[in-house]
Amino acid sequence: MACMGCCKAMRPRYKRLVDDIFPVNPEDGLVKNNMDKLTFYALSSPEKLDRIGQYLATKLSRDVARRRISLVKIAMDALDQLLVSCHDYSLNLFVESFLKMVQKLLECDELELQILGTLSFVKFANIEEDTPSYHRRYDFFVSKFSSMCHSCAESENDRSKLIMSTRRIRTAGLKGLQGVVRKTVSDELQVNIWEPVHMDKIVPSLLYNMHDPGFAPVELESPKDDEHPAQVAETVFRDLVCRACFGNLKPVLKPILVHMDNHKLWGPKVFVIRCFKIVMYSVQQQYAYVVVQALMSHLDTHVHDSPEIKAAIVDVLFETVLIAAGASVGPSVLDVFNTLVKHLRISLDNKSSNESIRAEEKKFEEAIVNTIGQFANNLPDYQKIEIMMFVMAKFPQFTPDENYGVQMDSQLQTLLLKTLLKVATKYKTVNMANAFPQEFLLPLLSMSLFDDPAMRIIVQEILHTLIDRHDNTEKLLHVQVFKDISKAGFKVEKVNRPDALFIKKFGMHFYWYLQENIKLNSNRVDNFEALFCTMSLIAIEMNSKETVVELIRLGLDMQNIATNNLSLPMTHKCAIHALVAAFLCFVAQVCDLQQLHQYALEIVENRKTDAPHLLPDFAFNRKNRPASYADPDTVTLAEFQKQDYPQTETLKDTWLFQLDIITNLLSEQGLDLSRLSVPFTQKPFGISEPDGSRSMSDINSINLEFESTEGSPVLPKKRSSEDVTVESLKKMLSEDSTNKEEEEERRREIIHTFRTAPFEEIVARSEAKSNHFHNKLNEILSMVSKGSDSPSTLRRSSTKPATVFDIQFPELYVY
Amino acid sequence: MEDYKYLFKIVLIGEAGVGKTCLVRRFTQGLFPPGQAATIGVDFMIKTVEIEGDKVKLQIWDTAGQEKFRSITQSYYRAAHGLILVYDVCSQRTFDALPQWLTDIDSFANEKVLSYLVGNKIDRGDAREIPTHVGEQFAERYEMKYIETSAKEADNVDKLFLDIASRLTEDARERNRLIPGEDSMNISSNTKSISSCSRCFKF
Ligand SMILES: Nc1nc2c(ncn2[C@@H]2O[C@H](COP(=O)(O)OP(=O)(O)OP(=O)(O)O)[C@@H](O)[C@H]2O)c(=O)[nH]1
Ligand SMILES: [Mg+2]
Repeated sequence: MACMGCCKAMRPRYKRLVDDIFPVNPEDGLVKNNMDKLTFYALSSPEKLDRIGQYLATKLSRDVARRRISLVKIAMDALDQLLVSCHDYSLNLFVESFLKMVQKLLECDELELQILGTLSFVKFANIEEDTPSYHRRYDFFVSKFSSMCHSCAESENDRSKLIMSTRRIRTAGLKGLQGVVRKTVSDELQVNIWEPVHMDKIVPSLLYNMHDPGFAPVELESPKDDEHPAQVAETVFRDLVCRACFGNLKPVLKPILVHMDNHKLWGPKVFVIRCFKIVMYSVQQQYAYVVVQALMSHLDTHVHDSPEIKAAIVDVLFETVLIAAGASVGPSVLDVFNTLVKHLRISLDNKSSNESIRAEEKKFEEAIVNTIGQFANNLPDYQKIEIMMFVMAKFPQFTPDENYGVQMDSQLQTLLLKTLLKVATKYKTVNMANAFPQEFLLPLLSMSLFDDPAMRIIVQEILHTLIDRHDNTEKLLHVQVFKDISKAGFKVEKVNRPDALFIKKFGMHFYWYLQENIKLNSNRVDNFEALFCTMSLIAIEMNSKETVVELIRLGLDMQNIATNNLSLPMTHKCAIHALVAAFLCFVAQVCDLQQLHQYALEIVENRKTDAPHLLPDFAFNRKNRPASYADPDTVTLAEFQKQDYPQTETLKDTWLFQLDIITNLLSEQGLDLSRLSVPFTQKPFGISEPDGSRSMSDINSINLEFESTEGSPVLPKKRSSEDVTVESLKKMLSEDSTNKEEEEERRREIIHTFRTAPFEEIVARSEAKSNHFHNKLNEILSMVSKGSDSPSTLRRSSTKPATVFDIQFPELYVY
Repeated sequence: MEDYKYLFKIVLIGEAGVGKTCLVRRFTQGLFPPGQAATIGVDFMIKTVEIEGDKVKLQIWDTAGQEKFRSITQSYYRAAHGLILVYDVCSQRTFDALPQWLTDIDSFANEKVLSYLVGNKIDRGDAREIPTHVGEQFAERYEMKYIETSAKEADNVDKLFLDIASRLTEDARERNRLIPGEDSMNISSNTKSISSCSRCFKF
């Protein structure tokens, strides 16, 4: 500055050239001719570039201080032009002066100058430099541009002017941030823009503008809406996310999540979903799972927060998974499932007693189930089976070496089952052996014997969706006699070899469990319907020659159960007879056995006239209600039919399917009928539990159950410190056993009840009892396995009591 | 041309409404803004002062006190040479919140940061809830400087900033003496955004 007064001739040439670009009248703008001369000079002697930059900067600095805005603009203009023209040369020092000037402009409180500085910076950011500098720092720019993104213009009286100014300064800030990112990402020598110090400023600034409610686009009348801060912010945000590679993604995601927390944006969740959609569509595909993981761990940090927030996070997770391409869910699939199941469990373990909170928690739990289903959808099919096995392993009682280590919330079980169903629904069965690997099928089948009838239905539904390849399930939801299935529109294909082999190997397992299911007293109408559906689907999908015989045999066996089983209530028996008739009629047609079809129709006709209660229309007539019942929902099947069921249980031969007649009918079909007469009493290989323990026909067990629940003592508190042993359980069962006479009396009573009481009533009664007892057992069990909270430890710790239950459980679990 | 010798970053923090923005504007613009709106995110102002013949440039970052901006404002702590923690002497609540702010300072700011506790709005004498000695004791316990101000009446505002500027300058000079030959910009070298050769500009 000192040489300002020096004589002109002494002044270096570059200074004269610089001076000449400023017009006499500042309003005239840059003197074009002289600017060309300056550019030419700079290009021909690039070593002078640094000096030129410094000199320009000095002048500009002085003009800023004196607020000579037009001169500032001219200097900036010149700097920009030189920068663009000379970028082939080493610009390092020139850039230093340039950036100094930009900073100078950004530091002054003149809005126009700040914007001017930003625009210059953006231009600079778009120039590719050949030799980047080691020492350049951008902290100030990140800070300042971020602060501009939040700025609100003031000192404008006119509101629309104020909005315009705010908009301009924010847009400038946003573009400045984009400039910094562009300038730094490509070059490792420069600052690492992905460091949290920077990202924690940049990301919230972008998000803030994307959602700032006080600054809605509606208020603005500008036609060019792509200049709106919200728009610009979104563009910059996309730009940022798509540049992030694996290691850099986390510092970007973290502030997003924190911002959502801070500004309570999970609540309406519209924005957060939008935001993560943007992330998912922008992020490089191979890193999409990092986003998923980040959301998962965010869920972990919110584990004690309100279910609304957690549900919102899971919803967002759902959306991201929806977008993530199949493979990109990546190596952490099981992790993801594990976390989700864990949260499901935590939610259920800490159920709120407040109803409205509980309602929210349920939404959260549903959201988890849906998300798991969605995840599964993105997986290849073989992984879906894997996932189902994984989820199944969460049921402690179905792990291979322990039976009934029951201490699991029934709601959790139901939700897990729903999860399984969700996954199964997404699975597209091609052949049965792949859909049902042994390790999956056997536990699944053993789950079909859950105590809770509602859960049993879900298991059957899982079977339906996996077995059914031709969308026939819908037509089989109700038990009905199909006189002519060709009219009902079933799609039936000839069985292929692999499937025939499969059913040959595993058919026994299916049949055995189906039969056990039929026997259960706790069955409701829905259960029978679900079983019918499963049986019919097997008939459709796997109707090989061997299968036909087995299926007929299954039908006959079920008929036997209904005929001979004393403990089954009348309603159940009728339902089974009706089901068998419908089923055998169906099988006959699917397998093209004319004679059997005729025979089945004959029996149906016989029943129609003499025993309508053995037909589906009667036994399953939930819909067919007498008009006198005002509120059909509260009326149970038994209530309105009780009087119609016959008083005595007579069964005529002509109402029933006869083994010898069937054998005769089929003798010409070339089927191996030798097995037809052998009932499925034996448990197939791989099912460890002794058959008898579950038999419904054991009157003694009913008695024992009755007695022990009625008189089951309140467990003395001091017990909690004692070891639980077989003895203690036995003691508990017999503690106040009554004398023989009373016992006899009760037994009679029970048998009577079970013979005469209506269907649902018995079910309800037995449920109440078993629940009561169930609770007691859980109490004891929890003493044993106290302190264990993860499913895996739970499984381990329940090993011991499991042996206890091997002995006692069958009797306790009669229903 | 470089018109300053030292550059320091000063960050103001504290509960919403304690008067941070008013303090900054009083100092940089010499006015008490009527109807000052709440700060959004961070704001930025600059003022150059002279300390014993040296030009010292103060880069003042005014943060929003509202909870929802906490994460973005926290990211500004680290670069600060001086932190001004403000409370309102007429509001027990803002005083009670101080420990939380100290925790934040501990976790986000530079260890050697100079921190100042400021009780603002002393012009509202009748409404005062925190006596001076309580503020003083608190500051002492946490090894902070203490001053009471009124942005409205301009009491102690300049004193506050000038004191910070001179303390930081003194530190910087001290350091230069200890490490001779180092650039005089040493202390602010990590804050100097662009250049390591600022002397090039001095003719
Ligand atoms: N009487 C009096 N009022 C003050 C003083 N300083 C600030 N105020 C008032 O306090 C209110 C808040 O002041 P601000 O400076 O906006 O507070 P802030 O700390 O910046 O608040 P945030 O930006 O939300 O963090 C305004 O209404 C000011 O007029 C003061 O020294 N005396
Ligand atoms: Mg403020």
